[in-house]
Amino acid sequence: MKYSGKSKAQVVLLLLPGLLVFAVFTLYPIVKLFVMSFLQWDFSHALEHPFAGLSNYMAVLGDKYFRTAFVNSLVYTAVTVPGQMILGFLVALLLNKVSHLKITYRVLYYLPVITSWVVASLIFRYVFNTEGMLNYVLVNVLHLSSANIHWLDTRWGGMWVAMLLGIWKGIGWNMVVFLAALQTVPQDLYEAADMDGAGAWQRLIHVTLPSIRGTILFALVMLTIGGFNVYTSIEMITGGGPAHQTDVILTWMYYKAFSTGEFGYAAALSFIVTIVLAVLASLQFKLMQQKEV
Amino acid sequence: MTGTKKVLAALLTTSIGLAAFTGCGSSTPAQSETTDQVDQSSATSETTASTAETSAAEEPSEEVTINFWHHYSAQSPENDTLTNVLIPEFEKENPGITVNAVSHEWADLHEKILISAQSDTLPDVARLDSAWVPEFEKMGILQPLDETMTDFTDVSDGLLESAMSTARVGDHYYGLALNTNTKILFYNAEAFADAGIEAPKTMDEFVEDAKLLSGTNANGQQVWGYDEPALAGWNLCPFIWSMGGSITNDEQTKATGYINSKETVAAIQMLKDLYDAGAITGWNSGDIPMTDGFGTGRYMMLLEGPWKISEMAGSYPDFNYKTAEVPAGDGGSVSVLGGEDIAMLSDANKEASWKFIKFMTGEFAQEEMAKCGQIPVNKEALESDTVKNADFAPFLEAITTAKSRPTVSCWTDMDSELSVAVSDVMNGNKTAQQAMDDLAAEFDEMLAEE
Amino acid sequence: MKRSVLQQVICHVLLIAGLFIVVLPMLYMVSTSLKPNGALYQFPPKFLPSPDEITLENYAYVLGAGKFYINFLNSVFVSVISVVLAALIASALAFVIARFRFPGRRALFMFIVLTMIIPGLTLIVPQYQLAVKLHLINKLSGLIPFYVAWTIPYSTFMIKGFIDGIPKDLDEAIYMDGGSVFTVFTHVAIPLAKPGIASVSIFNFLTCWEEFPWANTVINDNMKRTMPIAISGFFGRHQFTQWGYVFALSVISLLPVLIIFICCQKFFVSGLTTGSVKG
Repeated sequence: MKYSGKSKAQVVLLLLPGLLVFAVFTLYPIVKLFVMSFLQWDFSHALEHPFAGLSNYMAVLGDKYFRTAFVNSLVYTAVTVPGQMILGFLVALLLNKVSHLKITYRVLYYLPVITSWVVASLIFRYVFNTEGMLNYVLVNVLHLSSANIHWLDTRWGGMWVAMLLGIWKGIGWNMVVFLAALQTVPQDLYEAADMDGAGAWQRLIHVTLPSIRGTILFALVMLTIGGFNVYTSIEMITGGGPAHQTDVILTWMYYKAFSTGEFGYAAALSFIVTIVLAVLASLQFKLMQQKEV
Repeated sequence: MTGTKKVLAALLTTSIGLAAFTGCGSSTPAQSETTDQVDQSSATSETTASTAETSAAEEPSEEVTINFWHHYSAQSPENDTLTNVLIPEFEKENPGITVNAVSHEWADLHEKILISAQSDTLPDVARLDSAWVPEFEKMGILQPLDETMTDFTDVSDGLLESAMSTARVGDHYYGLALNTNTKILFYNAEAFADAGIEAPKTMDEFVEDAKLLSGTNANGQQVWGYDEPALAGWNLCPFIWSMGGSITNDEQTKATGYINSKETVAAIQMLKDLYDAGAITGWNSGDIPMTDGFGTGRYMMLLEGPWKISEMAGSYPDFNYKTAEVPAGDGGSVSVLGGEDIAMLSDANKEASWKFIKFMTGEFAQEEMAKCGQIPVNKEALESDTVKNADFAPFLEAITTAKSRPTVSCWTDMDSELSVAVSDVMNGNKTAQQAMDDLAAEFDEMLAEE
Repeated sequence: MKRSVLQQVICHVLLIAGLFIVVLPMLYMVSTSLKPNGALYQFPPKFLPSPDEITLENYAYVLGAGKFYINFLNSVFVSVISVVLAALIASALAFVIARFRFPGRRALFMFIVLTMIIPGLTLIVPQYQLAVKLHLINKLSGLIPFYVAWTIPYSTFMIKGFIDGIPKDLDEAIYMDGGSVFTVFTHVAIPLAKPGIASVSIFNFLTCWEEFPWANTVINDNMKRTMPIAISGFFGRHQFTQWGYVFALSVISLLPVLIIFICCQKFFVSGLTTGSVKG
């Protein structure tokens, strides 16, 4: 089809606001980030920023706190992504079966998703407090533990609380996504499986899961990105403590930038993370496209 | 022409369409109403802002707003006094000057000032922990008040010399002292009486008592002999100094041989042993907050400042506690000197800010703040009945032997490294000697860059 | 027949058991917000306040003396404007990318996908420098362009999915009648992609409503703070935390999202569905 001049002008007009916002608020910061990562940019160099070569990158990679934070982010993602996908999928399977109260269940299961991270983190902090409700129940009611458990005071204790929060908050989203996918699985596939005498487990493995492969990969990509994005829950629950043991990539980056003023270091760190994630996500995207043929 | 019309039509349809679904059917009117209100209120505030600007241009020094950042906690009596008593009084005395007070958490305030220094959005006046003054001076964001203000000495002569010294870096003063404080021992009087013991006078007694009073209460809940809410210099210094240790040499140029000296390591080891014995806690994320833990009988002892008295009176008025001086060790009974300075920042409106600074260090403001547990530095206010009736005497006594934390510009960094190192000791990742040796090397490097 | 009844019962039992865990923390928040502040360290801790204990003092303080309705209105203002702008801009972008071939189209789409991948906060340092240059620090309106920039990549991606699903015959019919590109945009793309735009907008509203790190970095004045900052401000890290106030404010901040979610459920589900099934 050929477009007239007027049409072309209108197309440009429609594109313009978006391009403008991208150029100023996204592209420029990306370029700036890249440049900053090669400069010595800290509070003692607030006005002029001498070229620093790769020293910021070396500082990041040689930093034991960064390595701790990176491992924490990896663990967080590796635990919360499958955790919330499996639980969300189970709820979706059950919901797909019931014939009453569907909407009520859906709304209630979705409540944690719409609760803000700040609020949800504070609830968890309150519940998991050493003197909190959970320890009271475990120690004084169920007698499962002889002393209060210090959930928030150790590296893995704090990480577990944050990860439980991540899973708790993600079940609802996965439920909705998987429920929608389950409804698209052709009924005749199940009938064919029944004819072959397949049990419930076999139907799940051979019919349901392959049919919703696209959705699984979509959720996987979105949630992996989300996992590396974790910031607020860690900041509110442990604040990175004790001694930066529960910092994740973004809380460590924020700390270096805004508490110690090492903007160059923070920029290099951001860039490394972006590259890692871009590679990871594009691999997942590739996988998704291939499987969908 | 038709083109423009179509653009308008397109925009109109889109916005109507959007309004329809963002409003979700029946709730549309209510929602758009609130939006309108917000729009209006923000519009009004913008207009007032612009009128203020224009009138300022026409009649200089008429309408001024000064931003004052502080770290009086948001729901504290100090903040109530500031916003309900002091600022209204100041604005009445100085028509045309409006004070916009902003409260931040202590650590957030430090962070916010560093960030704002990068963006030229610093406030006019700030209440600073005196330990930050050298750092901010080095960044060049504080006004040397003795140079800029002609009546500086008239004002500073009315304030305590010891407190004023915290605002001094090199040959100049970069602020006025605002309040002074130190920490003393608070203890649960009932529990001590029940155990038949007196307040600990020495560090050895302190260790004994802390262990003795730890355990479980009638409800089966754990009880700790002592609470320390963090592991920074403010928290550790009384122990280090009283036991004869130190952070750096007197010239503040070297840490090796001081922060890792036998005495300093012994102080850290003492806290570690108490922690292992379940006798102290407080710095962990999951711990009970200090005031609540003390008031509900879960923490038996604290080292705290004068504000704790009004805090306890507010939250736990019936609680029976007493105070004593910091237990003495080989170095004597040495507490940590605290206190705040009020400073003017680089881009401040000088005239209005100076008026506000003078007001805050004046007799009226100092006396009002004394009612909420802030020890005045104004000599006249110190003589007032309010101050005489307040329970400041033990603090004023402790101030005479209290020491300042190192007055170096890298103190904030040293401080956070110190808490990381001591956390490592507490969690058993390093021995006290090892952690302090590593720390000494780091401190030396930092101090060399001063 | 009998077997399916049993199956139904089992499903309900399992769903209710799961619900118990999911909803319990929320109930605890509500019940704590109704307890007097002093009762929070009582022993034994109670899940529900005793009837004579129930009080609205936390709500009264938060809405009255605390003046937190200002923070609430700040959040409404910022979120609504950001959402409307993002919806307009993203729909236009999605429409053009879905329907027209132009140089750089693929690159633009790749850029959009890439920005979806980059964790939002990694750009906070240069974006902060930018906000300084544009004088957007400590201004509520300064939050909006950044919220729009963060939400349009995902919005564009999702809305494009919807527009791809609209048959091109409809466009052709309009062009035949002499309609312009704008007419197609406003008469075909927008009305038919409405469920998508709506669901994306709800999602964006939630994002803006709860955004914490950026607002916390950029806004200083108490009266300009948004709800998440106001809530976190109650939470003294080293001093005492007034949990009653924290949770009263939290409940209030949850209400608008809850109302929107319940009203717009239909859009919500359809939006997520299309995006996910298409990938």
